[in-house]
This record gives sequence, structure tokens and C-alpha cells, in this order.
Amino acid sequence: MTSPNDDLAVQTLNLARKFGDLVAVDGVDLNIKQGELFALLGPNGAGKTTTINMLCCLLKPTGGTARIMGHDILKQPYRVKDIIGVSPQETVLSERLNSRENLELIGRIHGVGATELKTRSQELLATMGLGARAKDQVRKFSGGMKRRLNIIMALIHDPQVVFLDEPTLGLDPQARRAIWEYIIRLKKEKTILLTTHYMDEADFLADRIGIMDEGKIVALGTSHELKNNLLEKQTMVIQAQDITEAAIEKVRTKYAEAEVTGDTLVISDKQLGFQEIVGLLHQAGVAVRSAYMKEPTLEDVFLQITGKELRE
Amino acid sequence: MRLLALASRNLKEIYRDPLALGFLLGFPLVFMLLFGAIFSGDTLPEFTVGVIDEDNTMMSQAFVDQALPMVPVLEIATYDDTGTALKDLKFGELKAYIVIPPGFGQQVSSNWQGTKADILLQMTYDESDVMISEQLITIINDVTLAFARVEMPVTVDAKPIHVENQIDYIDFIGPGIIIFGLLILIPTSARTIVRDKEKGMLSRLLTTPTHPLDFILGYSLSNVAITIAQIIIFIFGAWAMGMDIIGNLGLAFLVFFLTGLCSIGIGMVIASLSRSENQAEPLAWLFAMPLAMLSGCWFSIEMMPSYIRTVAYAFPYAHAIDASRGILIRGVGLEAVGADFLFLAGWAVAIFAIGVVLFRRSMRS
Ligand SMILES: Nc1ncnc2c1ncn2[C@@H]1O[C@H](COP(=O)(O)OP(=O)(O)OP(=O)(O)O)[C@@H](O)[C@H]1O
Ligand SMILES: [Mg+2]
Repeated sequence: MTSPNDDLAVQTLNLARKFGDLVAVDGVDLNIKQGELFALLGPNGAGKTTTINMLCCLLKPTGGTARIMGHDILKQPYRVKDIIGVSPQETVLSERLNSRENLELIGRIHGVGATELKTRSQELLATMGLGARAKDQVRKFSGGMKRRLNIIMALIHDPQVVFLDEPTLGLDPQARRAIWEYIIRLKKEKTILLTTHYMDEADFLADRIGIMDEGKIVALGTSHELKNNLLEKQTMVIQAQDITEAAIEKVRTKYAEAEVTGDTLVISDKQLGFQEIVGLLHQAGVAVRSAYMKEPTLEDVFLQITGKELRE
Repeated sequence: MRLLALASRNLKEIYRDPLALGFLLGFPLVFMLLFGAIFSGDTLPEFTVGVIDEDNTMMSQAFVDQALPMVPVLEIATYDDTGTALKDLKFGELKAYIVIPPGFGQQVSSNWQGTKADILLQMTYDESDVMISEQLITIINDVTLAFARVEMPVTVDAKPIHVENQIDYIDFIGPGIIIFGLLILIPTSARTIVRDKEKGMLSRLLTTPTHPLDFILGYSLSNVAITIAQIIIFIFGAWAMGMDIIGNLGLAFLVFFLTGLCSIGIGMVIASLSRSENQAEPLAWLFAMPLAMLSGCWFSIEMMPSYIRTVAYAFPYAHAIDASRGILIRGVGLEAVGADFLFLAGWAVAIFAIGVVLFRRSMRS
């Protein structure tokens, strides 16, 4: 357990939440620096939303606490609420208001002045490609349009710390890309904590990633660190013709984990000798068409740490 | 600012929902039209009512000859003895007969002079037609009250007969239907709150610096605006359909307004106790409909068993109906409806207090 540090944007101190017997969040210690974009990556039910809900004072922790810009979520919840913006996992909008009115509702609650509110909402709506539909009641929006509005609702009052719970849930690749680009732009000005179960999202956006599983942070670091320091094995993928049993046996004498499917041979081990393997196959009379070292993914990291697939 | 932002948002959510709004305003108006149409126009029903005057004073004669005939739906037949009247009642010639017992004149006179005295009339009616006999009781009651100037300021009027108002059905039903309209605010109030709770809007707003009191006042304020619109439209509707407005309209408005506040409060309590619209909606109706029946929105409460009346008078609506009828039809003032008024105000304060406590509790996680 760490001690309070006011320079951090988000600091959780042994944060925990139980629902009855179920431990949803199990003593999490996170330190997120100001201006950092931190991604919580984890499968369904890992405890990401529960963590976020506690950080934005929606849910009381059953153990530990957290500090947002130095304000304790238990002792100064209204201080915290003043400086955060939240985009919940479920899209929540006032259905019979138009998109501008929705933004203005949050803005006015935060005491943003009328003129500023107007320019900001225009700006945000334009960024999200919703400018043309600003006057339509939100219930007439498509799911993706609502999702985009859901995100900018968290930003209208220019908060210091932004929580985005699965921001790109249910968006098409194009819209996802647009949101990513917008988030990247925000990165310099704000502290952002987002959750996702898309590895590529965490990979692309985050300065640092915390992999969460069963309420615990099981790995923490930059994408690069996670992949290169944590992964114990390298994987090589070889496309070749006429892969004979004899050839495989030959490879297996050096690398036990070698599997063939059709024309593809996959070999993994702690350390792989690229030249050596290609040489071995050559000697066995196999014509190698292509061979490459597989880029490690966060999926692999997750699989190795938890023994489970991240998705699907 | 926060409060206004929330209230205006809530109001928009309601008034941009044509179905909900139409229901809130249209439903009671339809009732009013229906009742108005059934008991109005050329097909005005004539009820023949027998009268046996055993008092035989100037007062009782004035009552029989001048007060009763002013009610358009009544056809008065005088009898000398109850035997003949009873026979005619049994043969269906009469809907009811009234016996004016000795002492009636005395009782009315003391009322005129400001001493409260119970007025006794005996009425025998045809039980087989509940609706009509009930109406008759109410009508006779109202005429007698007006005649005896019960609950009216004492005026030393030399002319013995001066019935303020001809009471017809719309006069009777008007205030009841207006109260019914205010009763169906219960489901509306509950729905607006619990919908936000269920859809996550409340949670979303709880991540903003909105205080519990902002929420409560925000919901109440928007519903208050709806209530005011309702009252104005209903009073106007009833008036357009022929309801007489004798008394102080401002006072009547206040009675209706307090009633509306009680409904909003009850709605808030129901919303706090429910998790979803599917729970809140039936619960609210389960409350509103029986209350409308019991409180006498459609039928006179006088006929109901006393234990039911006790229940009815534990809630604001029967009081509101009594008070608004007194004000609108009989033209009485605050001195006559003061007790009802206090009851309504007290109830409104109490239910809001309970609502606030429960709502705050239901927001905790
Ligand atoms: N209100 C609640 N009552 C009971 N259990 C809950 C509640 N909210 C969450 N849980 C449980 O807590 C655990 C963590 O849930 P949480 O929503 O935080 O997961 P998540 O990581 O956000 O998952 P997802 O990717 O599906 O959104 C789950 O097992 C869930 O069933
Ligand atoms: Mg979640």
C-alpha cells in the first residue's frame, strides 16, 4: 500500500468493493500522473466499471479509498465531482432533449457560463460530426451518434480528470478511429482513465496500461514494457511446403513447442534462433516460403498471466 | 442555476412527450366531457321526488315551493302522508321521497342567525338505482345546505328564500374531476423520477456536483409547472362545460395547488421505493385509482360506509373535494374550509419530508 501523493491525478489506495460475497474490486493500487492516459484493460466482469464508479463517487468502496487531484472520494465527494467528467459504459442521455440541450444540462450544472457553453458545445458537436443534427431530439439518433454524444457529455465542462468507460463500445471502425484521434488530442491537456477490452485500443491510446482480472491489477506498464518484459516466450511463424514428420521431429529436438497446421508451422520458446530454425528446416528438405517473428500482443500477455483469453 | 437546469430539463422531458402530456391533461377532460354529456342538455333527466312536509312552517314551505324546484333535474310532488308516497316509490312513480320533520324551520332559522344547528331531512329512496339515488342524496344535500346557508357568512336577509345557485350535475362533478386530474399526477411524478433512476440518468447526474436537494426540487418544480397548467385548464374546461364558479377562484386554486403538491410528494415516495418503471407504475395506479373512488371524485362519498370515509379522509383528496365544492359551488370562504386547508398543507409538508428522506436513502449505494 502506498501513501497519499497530491501530485497524482488519480491515486487509489487499496481500493476494494464487494457485492455480498463477490469481490468485484480487490485492493487496487493505481497511481495515475497528471496528463497521463491510463487504460484499464480486462475481460467482462474484471471490475473495471466498478473501479470507475467508485472513483467518480457513484459507488462507495467497501475497502480502501482513492484520491482525485488530491481530493479524497469519501471525504470530499463534491470536490471530486467538480473536476471530473464521466462517460458511463451504458449510453445515458436525456432522450427528449436535443444534443445541445444535453450538453448544456451538464454544463449548466457545472456552472459554465452561457456564452462559453455555446461555443464549447458547438465545437464538441462539430468534432464528433454531430453538428448538423444538433437540434434533433436525441431519441432519434442512431446508437453510434448517441455514443459520441455520451463521450462529449464528459468533456463539456472542461474537467481536469476524465473517466471514459468503454468509450468506443458499439461504434463502427470509422467512428472508433475518429474517437481515438480525438482522445489523442485531449491527451496533452487532461488526465484520462479509460477502460476497454479492446487490446488495440489500449495499445494505440494509452501511455500506460493496467491489465485487470478478477478485481486485481495483474500487470502494469507501457504497452512495450508489458509485451517485452513480461512475455516469457517468443513465437515464430513459418509458411512452408512439404513439412514432413521428419522435419518436425528435427525441430522438436531443439524446440519442444512446435505445431503444424497445414502449411504453417508455429514454434514458441523462451529464446528462438531465427537462422537456426530456418537452417534446420532447410536441411530437412523443407522449402520455406516465409518466416517471421510474431509481434507480441497484449492478448498474449493476458493469456500468459491469467491463462485465459481476453475476448471471444 | 443547477436547480433550474434540472427543472427545465425535466419539464422538457414531460412536455415533449405528447402521449404523457395528453394523458395528463386530456384524460380528466375526457371524463369531464363524458360526465357533462351524460347529465346535460335536452335530455336532462327528471327525477320525481315526493315531499311530505311535517314541519309546516313558513320555512319548510319556502323550501318545498321555491328552493327544491330550482334544481332543474327535480320534479317535486307533494304528499300528505308517507303511506301514499311509499306506494308510489314502490311503483316507480317516485325516485325518492323526503320527509321534512318538525323542527326543520327552527333549525334553518338558527343557521341563518349564525347558530350552527343540524338539519334533519329524512329521505327514502329507491335502492335499486344506486347512481341516481346517490346523486339525489347529493343534490338534496347541496340544496339544503345552500338553503340553510350552512358554511355561508351570516347575512340578515329579510327575504326568506334565496338559493344562491342552481346545482346541476356538472357543478357536482367538476371539482371531483379536477381532483381526479391531480390524482393522476401521482403516476406522472413517480414515472419521471424512476425513469431517470432506471435509465441511469440519475447515476450520470450523481457524478456531477448535483446535491440531493437539487434533484428533489428539480423534479418537484417541473411537476409544479405541470400542476399549475393542469389546474388552469381543468377549471377552464369545467367552466366551459357549465360549472358555476360562485366562490373565490384564487382560494379554489390554492386548494387544487396543495392537492397537486401532495400528489407530487406521493409520486416521489413511490419512486424512491421502486427500482423500475415497471414497479412504480402499477404501484402508483394502485394508489391513485382507489383513492379517486374513495375520495368521491365520481360518486358522492356520503353514501359510503363510515370506515371507508375514515380511510378517505386520511388522505388529502376527500378534503380537497369538500373544500373545492364548498368554494366553487356554494361560495364559502376560508372560514368554512380552513380545516381542510390546514389538513392539505400539513399533508403536503409531511409527504415531502418523507419523500426527501426516502429519495436520499434510495440514492445511496
Ligand atoms: N450492482 C452490482 N451488484 C452485484 N454485483 C455487481 C454489481 N455491479 C457489478 N457487479 C459484479 O462485479 C463484477 C465486476 O463488474 P464490472 O461491471 O466492474 O466489470 P467490468 O470489468 O466493467 O466488465 P464489462 O467489461 O463487462 O463492463 C462482476 O462480477 C459483476 O457481476
Ligand atoms: Mg464495465
